[in-house]
Parts: sequence; structure tokens; C-alpha cells
Amino acid sequence: MNTQGLVLVTFAIIAMAIVALFVVVALTSRGPTQRLDEVSTKGYALRRWWFAILSTTLILAFLIMIPFYPYGRSKSSANENAIHYNIIARQYLFEGLPPQIPVDTPIIFEVYAADVNHGFAIYNPDNQLIGQVQAMPSYRNELVMTFTEVGQYSVRCLEFCGIGHHLMGGSFTVGEGND
Amino acid sequence: MAVYIATGLSVAFLLMLVGLTMRITQAGWISLDPEIFYSLLTLHGAGMVVSLLLCGMGGIWYLVRREVDMDIRLAWWAFGLIVAGVAMVIAATVVGKFGAAWTFLYPLPFYNPTWPNWSIGSFLIGIMVITAGWTVWSLQILKAVIRRSGSLRDALGWDMVFHAKQFKAAGREPLPAQMLPAIVISVDGMVMSAGGMVIGVALIVHWINPAIPLDTIWAKNLTYFFGHSIANFIIYMLLAFVYVGLPRYTNRKWNTNAVFVVAWWGTMIFVLTAYFHHMYLDYAQPLILQYSGQVFSYMSAVPVSVVTVYGGLMLIWRAKVRWSVGSIFMYAGMAGWIIGGAGALLDASVPFNVHLHNTLWVPGHFHNYLLGSCLYFALGWVFLQAEERHHQRSSPAMRWLIGVMVFGGTALFLTGFYVSGAEGVPRRYMVQPDPGQGLSALASVGAIVLLGGLLVCLYEGARLWRNQSQDGLAGLVNAGSADGAGSANGSPVSTLEAP
Repeated sequence: MNTQGLVLVTFAIIAMAIVALFVVVALTSRGPTQRLDEVSTKGYALRRWWFAILSTTLILAFLIMIPFYPYGRSKSSANENAIHYNIIARQYLFEGLPPQIPVDTPIIFEVYAADVNHGFAIYNPDNQLIGQVQAMPSYRNELVMTFTEVGQYSVRCLEFCGIGHHLMGGSFTVGEGND
Repeated sequence: MAVYIATGLSVAFLLMLVGLTMRITQAGWISLDPEIFYSLLTLHGAGMVVSLLLCGMGGIWYLVRREVDMDIRLAWWAFGLIVAGVAMVIAATVVGKFGAAWTFLYPLPFYNPTWPNWSIGSFLIGIMVITAGWTVWSLQILKAVIRRSGSLRDALGWDMVFHAKQFKAAGREPLPAQMLPAIVISVDGMVMSAGGMVIGVALIVHWINPAIPLDTIWAKNLTYFFGHSIANFIIYMLLAFVYVGLPRYTNRKWNTNAVFVVAWWGTMIFVLTAYFHHMYLDYAQPLILQYSGQVFSYMSAVPVSVVTVYGGLMLIWRAKVRWSVGSIFMYAGMAGWIIGGAGALLDASVPFNVHLHNTLWVPGHFHNYLLGSCLYFALGWVFLQAEERHHQRSSPAMRWLIGVMVFGGTALFLTGFYVSGAEGVPRRYMVQPDPGQGLSALASVGAIVLLGGLLVCLYEGARLWRNQSQDGLAGLVNAGSADGAGSANGSPVSTLEAP
């Protein structure tokens, strides 16, 4: 399962759990009632635990995720011998897309925009979104990728750029050997 | 301020039809010119935010006025400015086909436009006029809350938190819960207005003289500071309805204690600083702000889930709840907020954002908030008013009909967004790659069911308001039902005035 599949499953589980919780709490209104001060005493005690669990989960999630942040990857020694491609995004095409990219090779796309903001998003042969970066006029953004699967990849613009936004794209092939 | 809420809900309904038009276009059921599609997209985005904002503004104004006198003329001025701004936005999008999206991200409105030059100015000035109306409202609310409390320090509950013993010993009463969203949103609202006016003026200058360029990352930061904040204010304002409404349905008080106050202080900061999560994939953004985006986004979840929604669940737990359409909407709105929040937190996590940014996951989570929480809170309040007017509530059969149509339709509609997003279907695409078209069809069915449910709400709400008998649809729905509508429920007589 890819990252976004995992995210969707996680979200679905959380959503169903929340619905279940709300249904269970609502059903208690059909049973014996309690005074608010009785509810509050236990409720506030339980809330301390909920606060601790939530805070710990969020802090741990943040710390665990930091190594997976995409920033500064081009400076890593693993990408010293990366192949660089200059990509210029303009309404409504990507200039500089190579027709073929070697498999299992670090690639750095240096992405620029010639006119308005665009998004440079790469989809693998299974149509899964595997990486993206913004293309902003006057600024350079980098997308560092290593393609491990051969096949036809597509590129789409993911930042609204005008009435041709949905038509803006391109493709390249990942194959064995150098281009 | 019935005018605010009625206008907001009416415009919201019309704009939902615009939204449905977009979804059925994406489903391939109809075909539109791209110029028209993207101008409708722009109108829908700007209009939905403003229409629900109006509901929140009206609600807060009404609730604060119950505590302290306010000059209604200022409320009318604010309303008038917002209506004028909306008219300019409608002119720009419907007549001029301005289609740069409601985020008007520089330099798109100006570059190679397929819309006339006047429409750019009409849209931008319209947004600024709306912001001016918002500022008038914010200033009035801020002044009123301070007058009610005695000082800004008291309005923010400072002594409750830091001098609790002296506060209690002096016999001072905490502020009513609904005053906290009022003070926090009015303070934050003016900060947002300042940012919005700066980017607005800069864009107008560029519109007048294109030789004066703006820095693109500076412009994007201000645009999203403005846009993210104003959209988020909606839910925090409409929450005030729940602070007042849910206690009426449960006969339990919503406690304003030190924890509650500190939670709102947190919200006051986080709602303005979480906007950095819109910039994750702009690598020119300073790195510290990228980290801050995830940190503040995560932190914003804590006051909501630990204090507000948890407090709401405590009000319901083992209480004698008067279940009605109003209370069900308020209760469901809290669930919708947490679910939407889960979707938001996942997207606000940088490594996940790489895969979700600008896919349909993004409108998924904010439609979850705006439909599945904000709209429900507003409807909950409207039904509370209608129910208490003649001490009626809808029959169980009517409640089920509304629940199935509105909640089921919402769930189907949102599923289309979330699954599409996970499948990488981009947002703001008139023609979507697979599997977008099929999922858009599913979402369209959901939207149609939801809109049908809202029409049933309109019918039932009007019936309750007019204290009408069980004829027509209500009679069909209640046929054979033992618990017909119209029975008094034994709850204390409402002292709420009809707005």
C-alpha cells in the first residue's frame, strides 16, 4: 500500500471511531441520568489522560516525520552524483522534461516558473502521485527523486494556473541505462 | 440578526447549486466552457466563505448583544459593506468570467487573462470591501466585549487563570462561554484584516500599474494568511451557537473555567499561525516556517478536541437530552469538526502533504468543516429558534428523514473528495484523470441527496416556525408515528428572543 493509501485507511478508521464514539455517548442519554458535577469529576480526570495521549501522539508524530521532510535533499551526499534537469513551467506546458530518465539513479529536477505559479507533480506507471513541488516565478524549487520502477510516468500541474490548468502535463519514460 | 443568518444560508444554498454544477461537469454529465467552469469555481469559493462568515457574524453579534448594548447601525454598515463587496465579486465572476480562483494568487489574475481587466479590479476591490465590512464588525464586537467585561484583560479571562483564588474570593463571575469566541475572533479578525488589506492594496497597485511587480512568495504568504484565517474564523464563530444551544437541550451549563480560557488563548494564536501549512512545497519559504506550519497545525487540534468537543460530549453524557433536529445538528457538527480535523492533520503532516497537496483531499477536509460542521451548527441554531418559538419539535420520523438525507448525502459527497485525493486526482481540474470522473459522479449523487435534505429542512423549519399542523410532507412522514410533533417536551421555557 502506498503512503496515500495508508493515509486514507487511517483517516477512515479515525472517522468511524469518532462516529462510533458519538453514537455511544448519545445513547447514554437514553439510560439513567447523572448530575453534571458527577459527570465532571470523572470527565475531567479522564480528560487529563486524553490530553496526555493526544499531546504525546502529536509530538511523537512530528519528531518521527522530520527525517522524511523533503527539504535540503539535494545537499545530501547520496545525491552528489545526481542528474540535474531544468524544468520550466509555463501556461500550459513543462519545458525541459527529458524523454527518458535512468532507473535507480538520483535525479534532481530544478523547477522554475516562467509566468504564474504552477505545480510539478509526478505520477508513476500505476497513476500514483509520488512526488511534487511548486513552481514559482522568480524562485527555484528542487524535487529530488530516484525512480525504482521502469515505465511511463506522467507529469501534471497541481497549482491552479488558468483555464488550461487541467490540460497542462507531460510524460517521460524511466528505463535502464543513461539517457 | 436574522438578516445575517438568512442571507448567509440563502446565498450558501445557491452556491451549493453552483458547486453541484461543477461536480456534475467533472462527472461528465454536462459540459461547460473552461472559462465558465473556472469562473464558477472562483464564485463558489469566495461566496461560500462569505456566506457562512455572515452566519457566524450574525450569531456572535446577537449573542454579544444579549450581554451588552450595541449600536445596530454599525451592524447594518458592516452588512451593507459585505453585500456591496459580494456584488462586486458576482459582477467579476458572472459577468466578467474572472476565473483566478478565490485565492487570487499573484500573478495569475493579471497574467495573460481570459477575463477583462475591469473584472480583476472588481474582484479584488470587492474582497477588500468585504474585509472592510468585517473590520467594522470586529471593532464593534471587540469594543462591546471589553465594555461588558470592564477591560481587555478581563475580556481575555486573565485573572481567572493567573489569579484564580482572588477571582473567586471577590465573587467575580466568569464570562459566558460564548464571549470567548467573540473576543478571540474580533482580535484575530483585525490582525487578519490588516494582512488582507496590505496584499489587497499591493495587488490593486499592480493592477493599476503592472510595471510595479510584487515578490511572489511575499504575496503568497499574505494571501494565505488572509484566506486561511478568514475561512477558519467561521467555525469558531458558529461554535458560539453550540455553547448556548447545547446547554438548552441538556439543561446543563457549559463551564467557563481556566482550562477553557487557556484553550481559547491557544486558538487565538494557532488560527493565525497554522497558515504556514499552505507553503510546504514552496522550498523558498524559510525552513523554520515549514516546521512551524506542522507544529501550529497540530497544536490547533488540542483546544478543539480536548476542551470544546470533549466538553460537548460531557454535556450529553448521561443527560436528559431533548433530541430534536436542532440538537442533532449541533451534536453532529461537533463530530464533523473532529473528522474534518483528522483529515486536516494528516494533510498538515509534511511527508503526507507531498502526496496530498493540491489534490481533492484538500477540498475534502475543508468541505468536511464547512458542510459537516459549520453548516450544521448554523442549522442547529435556526432549528433551536424554530423549536422554542412554539415549543415544538419534529417527529422521530422527520428527524430520521433529515438525518439520512443530510448526513448520508454529506458522507457520500465527502467520500468522493477524500478517495479522489488519495488517488492523486488534482483539485481545480475541470476534466479529471481517472478515477476522478467516477468519484465525481458519486459525489454528485451525494450532493443531490444533501440538497434534497436541506430542502426538507427548509420545509420543516418553516412549519415549526409557523406552528403549522401536520399537513403535507410532515403529515406523510408522521403517519403512523406515535410521537407526532407538536408535543411540549417539559424543558424550561426558553428565554431566548427570536432574532
